[in-house]
Amino acid sequence: MLSTSSIYILFFTTGVTIGFGHCIGMCGPIVISLSLNLKGAPSVWPHLYYNGGRTLTYGLLGAVVGGMASFTRFAESIDGLQKGAMVSAGVIIVLMGLAMTGWVRTGVIFRAAPPVGTFISGIFKRLLQKKKHPLMYLPLGLLLGLLPCGPVYTALIAAARSGMEADTTLGGVLSGAGLMLCFGLGTIPALFLVSRLTDLRWLRYREKVYQVGAVLMMAVGMYFIWNGVRF
Amino acid sequence: MKARRFKFPLFGKGILFLGLLVFSVCQPGVSSATDVNVDCDIQTGGCQKQINARTVHLEILPKPVKAMKDLTFQLKISGDSLLEAPFIDLGMPGMKMGPNRVILKKKDAAIYEGQGVIVRCKSGKTIWQATVVLPEIGSVVFTFDVIY
Repeated sequence: MLSTSSIYILFFTTGVTIGFGHCIGMCGPIVISLSLNLKGAPSVWPHLYYNGGRTLTYGLLGAVVGGMASFTRFAESIDGLQKGAMVSAGVIIVLMGLAMTGWVRTGVIFRAAPPVGTFISGIFKRLLQKKKHPLMYLPLGLLLGLLPCGPVYTALIAAARSGMEADTTLGGVLSGAGLMLCFGLGTIPALFLVSRLTDLRWLRYREKVYQVGAVLMMAVGMYFIWNGVRF
Repeated sequence: MKARRFKFPLFGKGILFLGLLVFSVCQPGVSSATDVNVDCDIQTGGCQKQINARTVHLEILPKPVKAMKDLTFQLKISGDSLLEAPFIDLGMPGMKMGPNRVILKKKDAAIYEGQGVIVRCKSGKTIWQATVVLPEIGSVVFTFDVIY
């Protein structure tokens, strides 16, 4: 049996290896889209907020699954939520792409869109505006942390097991949250590296790349929407 | 004459950026379905393989074997009783999914049983592998199709 501290270290290192071996491939397009959306603005804080939001969601999922002490019951209950997160991620990426092309003005997009609540549409608007506040990437990370992902499920199975082994429900909640936070923190280096490499401020003809990138972003967004619908 | 300066850091960054784009789009580590051979029809029954002189029979219940459901993994192992309990590591061929180990407990002289979950992959690929490990004896891989 592993000691408490070594299991947290194991989850962190698993996150690091999964980050480089899986997340770069699966979440890389999202990170590249976020980088392109920044259009040369400083990208360190936005990406830290995005990764922080994602990790917080993992911690929250870990707390719930640890408290429930069952992965399958938990997975059934969030099936619809994940589907929604995937479609939303796709819509956000398509809108970011549209706003980047300049073909459609942000205001026009929101006048045409159905009212989805001032708070959410406010976040959308701020993400699509030319001058973005880095903190706007936190709610985006919180939402994208809900995306269905095999390695996150695998980590949640282990978090559910820790919940089963805990003496109390609170113990299960805390151990599940702790394990998933460690896992999430471990995935940050890989995705942060991707964000640093796709920071194009050094590129002379970056405007052209942004135009191509915007079209690619829309394609990636459509892929997410399609995947979310069939999920 | 002004010498042209070779900007290696920019060139290197450009190469890295392009490499990353290709890496991201191609999703390396994800094997295509055609280069993985399914050698176990787990949906219709159990599967059998050899580890050294021992026969290992793997059964997963209930049928059909679906992802994101509680599953019972059962091993029947021929020969003398094992000194250490076997275990099963679940994974996808060519895809890092994180450690997913099924701990097995002795049910009978030659039968070991444990609970596990096969997770769903966003890629939509349904081919999974169960690596059965008999400590100090060896391991064998069963490759099968799962229903999503």
